[in-house]
Amino acid sequence: MNVLWEQFPVFRDGFLLTFQLSFLSAIGALLVGTLVAVLRISPVPPLRWLGTSYVNLFRNIPLTAVFVFVVVGLPLLGSSADFLKIPGLDQIFTRLGIDLPYFRFSIIALSLYTAAFVCEALRSGINAVPSGQAEAARSIGLTFTQNLRFIVLPQAWRAAIVPLGSVIIAMIKNSAIAGFMGLYGDLSSRGQELVSAGVNGVTYPLIPVFIAISLGFLIMTVPLGLLLDRIEKNRMVKAR
Amino acid sequence: MLMKRLAAAAAIAVLGVGVAACGGTDPATPGPSTASFKAGSTMEKLNKAQKITIGTKFDQPGFGLKGLDGKPAGFDVEIGKLIAKELGIPADKIEWVETKSAVREEVIEKGTVDLVVATYTINDARKQRIAFAGPYYVAGQHIMVRSDDSSITGPDSFKEGTKKVCSVQGSTPATNIKKYLKDEATQLVLFGGYAECVDALKNKTVDAVTTDNVILLGFVASSNGAYKLAGNKFTDEPYGIGVKKDDTDFRNFINDLLEKIAKDGSYAKAWNDTAGKFDKNTPTAPAVNRY
Amino acid sequence: MAQPLIELNSVNKWFGSLHVLRDVNLTVDRGEVVVVIGPSGSGKSTLCRAINRLETINSGTITFDGQPLPAEGRALARLRADVGMVFQSFNLFAHLTILQNVTLGPIKVRGESKANARERAMQLLERVGIANQADKYPAQLSGGQQQRAAIARALAMQPKAMLFDEPTSALDPEMVGEVLEVMTSLAAGGMTMIVVTHEMGFARHAAKRVVFMADGELVEQAAPAEFFGNPQSERAKDFLSKVLQH
Ligand SMILES: Nc1ncnc2c1ncn2[C@@H]1O[C@H](COP(=O)(O)OP(=O)(O)OP(=O)(O)O)[C@@H](O)[C@H]1O
Ligand SMILES: [Mg+2]
Repeated sequence: MNVLWEQFPVFRDGFLLTFQLSFLSAIGALLVGTLVAVLRISPVPPLRWLGTSYVNLFRNIPLTAVFVFVVVGLPLLGSSADFLKIPGLDQIFTRLGIDLPYFRFSIIALSLYTAAFVCEALRSGINAVPSGQAEAARSIGLTFTQNLRFIVLPQAWRAAIVPLGSVIIAMIKNSAIAGFMGLYGDLSSRGQELVSAGVNGVTYPLIPVFIAISLGFLIMTVPLGLLLDRIEKNRMVKAR
Repeated sequence: MLMKRLAAAAAIAVLGVGVAACGGTDPATPGPSTASFKAGSTMEKLNKAQKITIGTKFDQPGFGLKGLDGKPAGFDVEIGKLIAKELGIPADKIEWVETKSAVREEVIEKGTVDLVVATYTINDARKQRIAFAGPYYVAGQHIMVRSDDSSITGPDSFKEGTKKVCSVQGSTPATNIKKYLKDEATQLVLFGGYAECVDALKNKTVDAVTTDNVILLGFVASSNGAYKLAGNKFTDEPYGIGVKKDDTDFRNFINDLLEKIAKDGSYAKAWNDTAGKFDKNTPTAPAVNRY
Repeated sequence: MAQPLIELNSVNKWFGSLHVLRDVNLTVDRGEVVVVIGPSGSGKSTLCRAINRLETINSGTITFDGQPLPAEGRALARLRADVGMVFQSFNLFAHLTILQNVTLGPIKVRGESKANARERAMQLLERVGIANQADKYPAQLSGGQQQRAAIARALAMQPKAMLFDEPTSALDPEMVGEVLEVMTSLAAGGMTMIVVTHEMGFARHAAKRVVFMADGELVEQAAPAEFFGNPQSERAKDFLSKVLQH
C-alpha cells in the first residue's frame, strides 16, 4: 500500500477530477432525466414517443458507444460543447472553461447515458405517487405542467430518491471510462498509469494501486449511500 | 569475472567470423554468394537448403505490411531479403511468416522461423530467451502533426503551453511527453487507442499525436499526405533481429552484414524504398551491439 | 326561468363493454343541493367525475354555466377551477402543509398574491374549524380534519359549484358529523352542490332534491320528503328498505 503514500498527489489530483466530473454529470443527468421523464408521461403522443425512444436508445447501448458519439461526433458537427463554459461555474470547475473539450464531452456523455436511468427511476417514483394526488391537482385547475411541477414531481422525487441514488452511484463508477475517452487525469486512469507507464521509470503493482483507486471511489459513494439511507429514514418518519 | 570471460569469448568469435565473412563476400557484386560457410553453422545449413523462413509483422505499414500479392513489404522485409541474399538465397525462396508481438520469442525458440525481423525492440527480458543481432534501426517516440502545420518542430514546442497533444492512456509515450508540457490539464488528451487520437488531430481538437515513430509512420502512410512527422524522435528504442539464443555464429554473421550494408548504401536504399516514403529523414544505421 | 348551472343531456359512458352511464339527463340550478344515492357500482362517482371531466364521456353533452365542457388544455383547467371537488379519500397533497394545500390553487391558478391567498385560506380553515392545524402535514391530521381541509382547499378557488363523492365514507363514525356540519352550512350558504352520499340524514335535511341511480340509469328524482316517503320505482323501494333498516 506504499503506493498511496508515495504517489499521494497523483491519487489526490485524480480524485478531485473524478469528483468534479461526477458532480457535474450528476446534475446534468438529473436535469436531462427529469425532462425525459416528463416527455414520457406527457399527454402529447409525439413527445411521449420521443421520451420513450430516448430511454430505449440510451439504456440499451454501451456507455463507450455514447462516449464515441459525443467525443467523435460533436467535433464533426463543429461543436466543442462551449455552452458548458458556464461563467462563474468555470471558476470553480476550471476544466469546464479550458480550450480542450473533453471534460465537457465527458459530462455530456455521462449525463445523456445516465439520464435514461434517471428517467426510469423517476418514472417509478411518479408511479408511486397515488393517482388521487394528480387528480386532486387537476380538480383545482392546475395545468399539466403545474401539476407535474408542484404536485407530482416533488413527491416522485422523494419516492425515487433511493433508486436515483443507486443510479448516481453507478454513474460515478462509470465515470472511469472518461480517462480513455480524451480526458486526462481522472482517478482510475491516473492510477493505471502508475501501473503501466510508471513515474520516473518506477512502476507499481496492480493490486495496491487498485485498492487506492477503490478507496477514492468509496470516499464518494459511501457517504452518498449513507445520505440516501438517512433521507429514506426521514421520509418514513414523515409518512407515518 | 564471468562477464569478462564471456566478453573475451565473444570478441574472439567476432574476429574469427568477421575475417571469414570479409574474405568471402564482395559488396560490389551482388547476387548469390559463393562463399563457403563454416561447417555445421546455420548459415551453411540455410545456404545448402536454399530456403529460409523469416518472421515479420504483416500489419505495420513501412516495416512489414502484407500487400495484395500476399507478400509483406517494408523496411523489415528488405532487411530480411538482404540477409537471405548474403546467405546465397534468392528473395523468392524466402518464406514469410507473420509474427505478432506476443509470439516472437516462442517461434524463435521452437525453430518455426530462422530469424525474426519484426519491429522487435531489444531488451534484457527478451535476451533471456533469444539473442539479438543489431540494432539495425533505432525507433523512438515521435510527433505527428497535420501536414500544413509547421508550428510544431519537436517536443519542446509544447513547453510554451498552447499546443495540445494526444496519446494513449497508460502508455509510456504518454508519460514521456508530460515533461514537455506546461499544463497537462490543458494540453494532454488521452484515449484508449490511437485511432481516436488521429481523429482528434483531424478535427483540430489537438495539434499533435505522439507515440513510437513506427506507429505514427503507419498513420502518415495511410493519410494521403494529411499528416507528417515533426522534427526528430526524442527517445530511443533499438530494433534487433531475433535468432536462437545460443546461435552466436549466426548472430555475428548478421551483425557483419548490418555493418556492411550500412556502408555500401543498401541500408539507405532499403529505407528509402519503404518507410522512407513517409519519413524523409533517412536514419543512419546504428552501431551494432555485439554483446 | 334562469339558466341551470349544470346540465347533462343524454350522457353515455362505457368502460370497455361496461355501460356505466345510460342516457343520463340531469339539470342542477344555481344554489341547488342535489344528493345522488344508489347502490354500489351504479355510476354515481362516474357521474360526478364526468362533470369536471376527470372522466370523458362517449356521447351526450354536459354544459356548465352555459358552456359545453372544454376538451383539453387551459380552458378545461379554468373550468375545473370553477368546480370544486371533494374526494372520498381526501387526496390532500401529501408533501404540502394544510395551509399550502389551500393556498396553492389561488396562487398558481388564480394568480392571487401570497399574502391575500394566505389570509383567505386562514379564514376558510377557521370556518371549517382547523385553523390551528394550518402548518401540519396531512398525514398528521385525523380523517375528519383532512376532509375538512380538503373542503377548504376546494372552497379557496371560489368555485361556482361543489362536487362531493362520498366525502364521509372513509371516515370513522365519530368524525362523520363534523364534516356533514361543514357541508350543511355550505348548503345553507347557497352553494350549488352535487353530493354522492349514503348519509340519508344529510339527504333529508340539506338536499333540495334526491336523485336515485341504479345500473347507470337515473331512475327517479324528487324532493327528499317525497322520495323517502313515497318512492316510485321498485329498485328505489328495495334500496331504501336495505339502507334504512340500519
Ligand atoms: N376506470 C374504470 N375502468 C373500468 N371500470 C370502471 C372504472 N371506474 C369505474 N368503473 C366501473 O364502473 C362502474 C361504476 O363505477 P362508479 O365508481 O361510478 O360507481 P359508484 O356508484 O360510485 O359505486 P360506489 O358506491 O361503490 O362508489 C363500476 O362497475 C366500476 O367497477
Ligand atoms: Mg363511488
